[in-house]
Formats: sequence, structure tokens, C-alpha cells
Amino acid sequence: MKLSRRQIYLFLACVAPIGKLVVLPTELVREAKNDLLLPVAIHFLVQAAVIFCVLLLGRRERGLYEILEGTFGRVFAKICMVTLSLFLLLAGLVPLIEQQLFVQGVFYDTLPSVIAYAPFFVFAAYLASKPLAHMGRVWDILAPLFAVGLLGILLLSVGSADYAALLPIGASGTGFLKSTLSASVWFFDAPLLLLLLGKFEYREGMAWKGALCYLGGGLAVLFFLATFYGIFEETAINQIFAFSKTAKYFSGITVLGRIDYIFVYALALVLAFYTVLPAQCAIDGVVQAFGSPRHLQTILSAGIFLGYFVLSLVFDYSFFALLKFMTKALVYLFPVFATLIPALLLTLGRQP
Amino acid sequence: MKQITGDLKKSVDALKKLLPAEDILTFPFSSEGGIAFTCVFADPVTDKELLGEQVVRPLSRYTGAATSSEVKKHIVSPEVRTGTELRTLADEVLAGNPVLLFEGMDEALILGTKKVFVRAIAEPSTDVTVRGPREGFIEDLKINTSLIRRRFKTEELMIETSEVGRRSKTAVALCYLEGTAKRDVIEEVKGRLEEIDVDIIPDSSYLTHFLSSRPFSLVKQVGTTEKPDIFCAKLAEGRVGLIVDGSPIALTLPYLLTEDFQSSEDYFVSAYRATFTRLLRLFALLVAIYLPAFYVAAQLFRLQLFPIKLLLTIAGAIRDIPFSPSLEMLLVLLVLEVLNEASIRMPKYVGMALSVVGALVLGETAVSAGFVSTPAIIIIAFSGIGLYAVPNLIEQTGVLRLAMLLVAGSVGTYGIVLLTGFVLFYLVTCENFGTPLVAPFSPIVGHDLKDSILKYNYGSLKTRPKTLKSPNRRRQK
Repeated sequence: MKLSRRQIYLFLACVAPIGKLVVLPTELVREAKNDLLLPVAIHFLVQAAVIFCVLLLGRRERGLYEILEGTFGRVFAKICMVTLSLFLLLAGLVPLIEQQLFVQGVFYDTLPSVIAYAPFFVFAAYLASKPLAHMGRVWDILAPLFAVGLLGILLLSVGSADYAALLPIGASGTGFLKSTLSASVWFFDAPLLLLLLGKFEYREGMAWKGALCYLGGGLAVLFFLATFYGIFEETAINQIFAFSKTAKYFSGITVLGRIDYIFVYALALVLAFYTVLPAQCAIDGVVQAFGSPRHLQTILSAGIFLGYFVLSLVFDYSFFALLKFMTKALVYLFPVFATLIPALLLTLGRQP
Repeated sequence: MKQITGDLKKSVDALKKLLPAEDILTFPFSSEGGIAFTCVFADPVTDKELLGEQVVRPLSRYTGAATSSEVKKHIVSPEVRTGTELRTLADEVLAGNPVLLFEGMDEALILGTKKVFVRAIAEPSTDVTVRGPREGFIEDLKINTSLIRRRFKTEELMIETSEVGRRSKTAVALCYLEGTAKRDVIEEVKGRLEEIDVDIIPDSSYLTHFLSSRPFSLVKQVGTTEKPDIFCAKLAEGRVGLIVDGSPIALTLPYLLTEDFQSSEDYFVSAYRATFTRLLRLFALLVAIYLPAFYVAAQLFRLQLFPIKLLLTIAGAIRDIPFSPSLEMLLVLLVLEVLNEASIRMPKYVGMALSVVGALVLGETAVSAGFVSTPAIIIIAFSGIGLYAVPNLIEQTGVLRLAMLLVAGSVGTYGIVLLTGFVLFYLVTCENFGTPLVAPFSPIVGHDLKDSILKYNYGSLKTRPKTLKSPNRRRQK
């Protein structure tokens, strides 16, 4: 089963943006305040450029491991793949943590037992044990879900937003620069795409179309962020799990109940798949490097998600500390792995 | 293989040795010309009147030579074949075709005087339409194939019959339009039929197991229909059909999930109405699966999902209920399933009493006794009705509803989201005969969306569905 170009575009436009709608908006407000759009815009532009490069790499019709092996030899290629996989496992912690907090905060009236989140790891392990290329068909379904979910939330909330709150631009001073750096941990879509190389057929124009799709998704995120800040302004910092909060002032809720949750659940489904993706890509990277006996993928996926589960038990009460650690101490890893390395790969010499 | 000889007695004895059952009879008679004949037949499945009229009476006056070609000319039946192998002859006798042996010939005549028990062609109860044809398949293969042939007056219609089942030797007719159905699919269906090695095939549903790429899956992978018009429409789209002798349910391949959201009537009403009805079916199915689960999850884990006035009503209704919401819902669901099962199996005259018992005694009394709440009954009733909006998927959706309910009661709404994700992933990765089950939604096939959950005007459906990869794409100019 191969991925189609349409599926890649849908992933970039409708699945990748979901990770930027949960905790990132409040984290941005912390430093960037009303300039929260700037860091996100910068990241989307940079990632779009890197995605353009990665998709150009797709012209070689070879997987990442094959490209690396052709240039550096087998041993170094294996080391690179394992390192990239480790990075993705680390990067995957952010959406995982976000999602756990999101589930505990949005799906339950009272704080549930940590075990309530356990089924996610079973779901994730099952998903990750299947070939990565299967995800393309999932994206076909998730894309309209994301579109309907986000559009629904925006429709219910635009009436309550005061977009003038975003002015004056630049009021946060250098705050938006700090935000730009810390927001790096949410932008690792290009390395995900690296692992999809060789799983789709490149056609002329795919690179810029892919980058445009990603920017399209970015525009949707920016509009959401603007609406989010327009509604909550200074108090936005307390509105964690942004997309579940934005529509809560819709006037019909008193009569109809939390109908916005229909859209929130649709986005939660997209988020569940997105959360698994870094680990899926990491596993695929290892499988590419060391061959693909069926049991290796199953064992890896079971082991990784068991590890994640243990982490979720250990850090159950200190997720924000872990998130802070990621956004402060490990943040420098992200520009290297998510931007620099994928862009540099394009310069690798062609091999016969 | 043993062959018959010119010695009539020896041949009859050999055949009887192969067929020792009491209902295999022999009828010896001789012609005016002095030729000794013996007819071997299976009593329950042979039309003896026809045998007498078409074979015995003309041959008893026969005075010609004792050769099969000459004898054949005097038999007043269009269906006469010859055979020499004892095993083949025995199989024909068991199939209801008498075998005529005669002195001096090492060849027997196989007579097509099978007794056919058929019921009248009627509208199938599972697929009732207000507009459109009301014919339904019956249990006889020949009549079923004639219903198809009547609709396709073309030499492209191929009907290839084979036998499946070691003991039942059930006739299975493979139907397709040459040049329209994909050759790979035809060959693969033939291959899978040949591989089947079971005792009997009592119904077409037995075949579905062997025709599915994931035979142990809950997910349906073979299309079914009881109506010849639907069957023919599917053949015309490029599918392959299977009709099994003894079964009124025909199978079609490859199967797409959207098929079951479509009804033959959709093609006889306006496209707008058809689209609305299909969307309604989808909505009803989603409500049937999710409503009980969300009701339980909302009560247990997320009360905010209810509008405040509804919450107060529900709080009042469940105040004195001794069970947890999930247990209460499971009990009501169980009662509904039992009532449903019993009402199908019970004799019709008891049905009325059962409805009264179900509705009044179990429903009203259970509510007034405080065992279950009124909202729970309303929700399960609504869900039960919704499930029947797509009757061909009841097996699957019934199980899914139960699974959703269990997950909702234990993990809450997030459990529902995860289970939905799991089902979604499973469905999109399901393929049978190289066709994705959830197409044209995943993978998205823009052209085929015109006749999926949506229904475009017939004028827009100029080509056959892309998903089925028919070698002949165009169906109208």
C-alpha cells in the first residue's frame, strides 16, 4: 500500500495543525501576549520551507534510509536513523503529555484515575504495529473531520471574539522571540515527513503544493489563535486546551448543552491519531534501518508505548514540569532535528 | 474410474452398489422391439410423472435399434445427456436426474426430469420498496438465473455453474458481464470457490466466510441482496455475483460499505430525495450506535454534555433507580435484544402477545417499579429503531453499539473516541478482492462520491465506479 499525493497534502493541511491547538495557544500567550500569531507564523513559514525541501527529496523515489545509506554507508545510516527515531520519540512526548492533560481536563467532570487514559496506549500500540503507509487512508477520513471540527468551533466562537485585542502588533517587545523559541517543540512536521519518503510517488509540483497545503493549515491555526485571543485576551493564559474552551460562550449552549463538544470530539479523534504519529515514524525508522520482520515492529510498538505509559504514571502530577523541561532545556534540539537536518538532506549527493 | 458395460444387470448392480440408499429406485421396462431398459432414479427428487410422459411411454413403443443416438431421438425431453462413468451417473441420480441404462450399450442416458419444489416469487421482506420492482430471489437456482437473464438480453452475461460442498454438491452460479467485470476478480472468485472444502453449503452465507480476506472479522466483506434488480445493477457496475442453489440471498463482490446505505428505491426517486434518505440512514445508524453510549458516558463522567433543563429531567427520572447508568442501559438493551430475538423466532400468533408483554409489562411496569428510568427506555428504543434504518448491517452495528456502551461505562467519552478511532483504522485498512471497503471515502475517489452517501442525478453517472476498476468504464453517452 502506497501513500497518494493527496494523502500527503491532507496530512499537511489537516492533520499536522491539530497539535498546535491544544496547549500551544496558552503557552504562546505567556510570553508573546497579543503577538501570539507571530511565533506561529514564523514556525509555519520555516517548516513549510523545510517541507518543500523534504518533498523535493521525494523525487529520488527512495526511503530516507536508502538515501542515507547511499551517501554515508550502512553503519552511519543506521546511526542516523536510530538518532532520528530517538528524537521523534522525544518529540512525541509533547503531544502525548498534552493529550493526557486534555483528556483529563475535558472529558471528565472530576480528575479521573490515571488508568482512564490507559486505553490510549493500547490503541497507540496497535496503530504503531501496522505499516506507516496505512495512515494515508486514515488521513483521508481525518481531514474532513478536522475541517468540520475546526470550522464548527470557529463558527460558534467568532461572534464572541474581539480581534482588535491583537493590536498593537509588537506590544510584547521581545516576548514573541522567546515564544518563538519555546514553541519549537510543537513544530516537528518536516522530520515526520522524512520518514514518509519512499512511501509516495513524487510528481512535478508536489513540493510547492505540499508547502502550500501546510501553509493553508497554518492559516487556519492562525485564525483560530486570533479568535482564541480575541475572546479571552489577557485571561487566555488560563484557558488551557484552547480548542475546547473557545466556543464556550456561544449563546446556544444554555439551551442546547455543550454542542461545541461535538466538534471538540471530532478534533480529539484527529489528535489521537496525530499523537501516535511520531512514535509510528520512529518505529518505521528503526524498521527501515534494520529490516522489517513483522515481530520487530510489534515488539517495538508494544515496548515504546509501555514505556510511555510508565512515564505517564510517573509524571501524572508533574506534566507541566516535564513540559517546561522540554520547552526550556531540550528546546534547542528541535531547530536542529526539525529544521536544519531535514533541509540539509537535500544537499546530499545523488547516488546511482 | 469405473465405467458401465453393455451388460444391463451388471451395470444396474454396480450403480446400486454405489447408491445403496432405499430411496434410490430402479424401474425396469422393455420396448415393443424387445430392448430391456432400466431407469435408476432418486425417488424424492425425481419428477416421476415427467419421467413417465417423456421417457417411459415413448420408449415402451420403440421398435428401433438399441443405440443411444436412436433411443435419444424418441425421448420427448430437451435435456438428455450421455454418460459412461459410474461415479458421474451416481452423482446425476442424486441430483435428481434419472439415469437410463439399456441392454447392449456401454453408455447411459441422463434425463433432465428433476423435481423442482419452488415457492412463488415474492417481494423479500428484508428489502421492501414503495417504488420499483418487487421481485425477489427464491431458493431455486434456475429460476434465480432466469430472473437475471430476463434483465440482461446480452451475450455478455456469463453464468458459470460449479459445485461446492463435498456432500451437498451445491450448485453455485457465478454471474458477471464479460468485459465489464474485472478479470482478476472473476479469476480470484473462481479460485476461492475451488478451494472450498466443506461438507455442505446450506446457504450462501456459508460462502462469505471463504470469500472474505479477513474471514474472522466482524466486518462484512461480501455484498448481499435478495432482489434481482439490485443484483443486476451491481453486475452492470462491474461486480461479480454468486447465486447459490437453495438460498434466496445472492452475493456480490467486491463489496463497498456504502452499498448498504443505498436502496434500490434511491434510483427511482429524485436525486435530492435519495441523498436526503441516504444521509438520514447514516444519521440513524450513528445515533443507534452512539446515543446509548454517550448517554451513559455523560451521566457518569461529563454531565455538562446535557443542557441544564434536560439534566434536571434526567436527574429526576434516575433518582430512585438502583442500578448504575451503564448497568441500567445494558439491562434495557438486553431486554430489547431478547424481545427482538423472540419476536423473530416465535410463531406469528404469539407475536401480538409478546408485543403486549414487551411494551406494557416489561416497559411500563419496570419504569413504575423503579427498575429502569424512562430516558433509558426512550434512548434504547430510538437506538433500536435507528439500527433498522440500515438492515444489512444489523449484525455489525449491534455488536458495535454494545462495545461502545461497555467502553462508555468504563472509560467515558474518551473511550468512545478511541474505539471510534480503532474501528476507523480497521475499516480503512480492510480490503477484499483488491477493493478498499470504505472507498470512495478512504481512499477518496472523487468520481465515486457521486453515488455513495450522496446521490447525483443519473445523467451525471456516465461512467462506472472507478473503485471497481472495470475494463469498460463508460455506461452511458
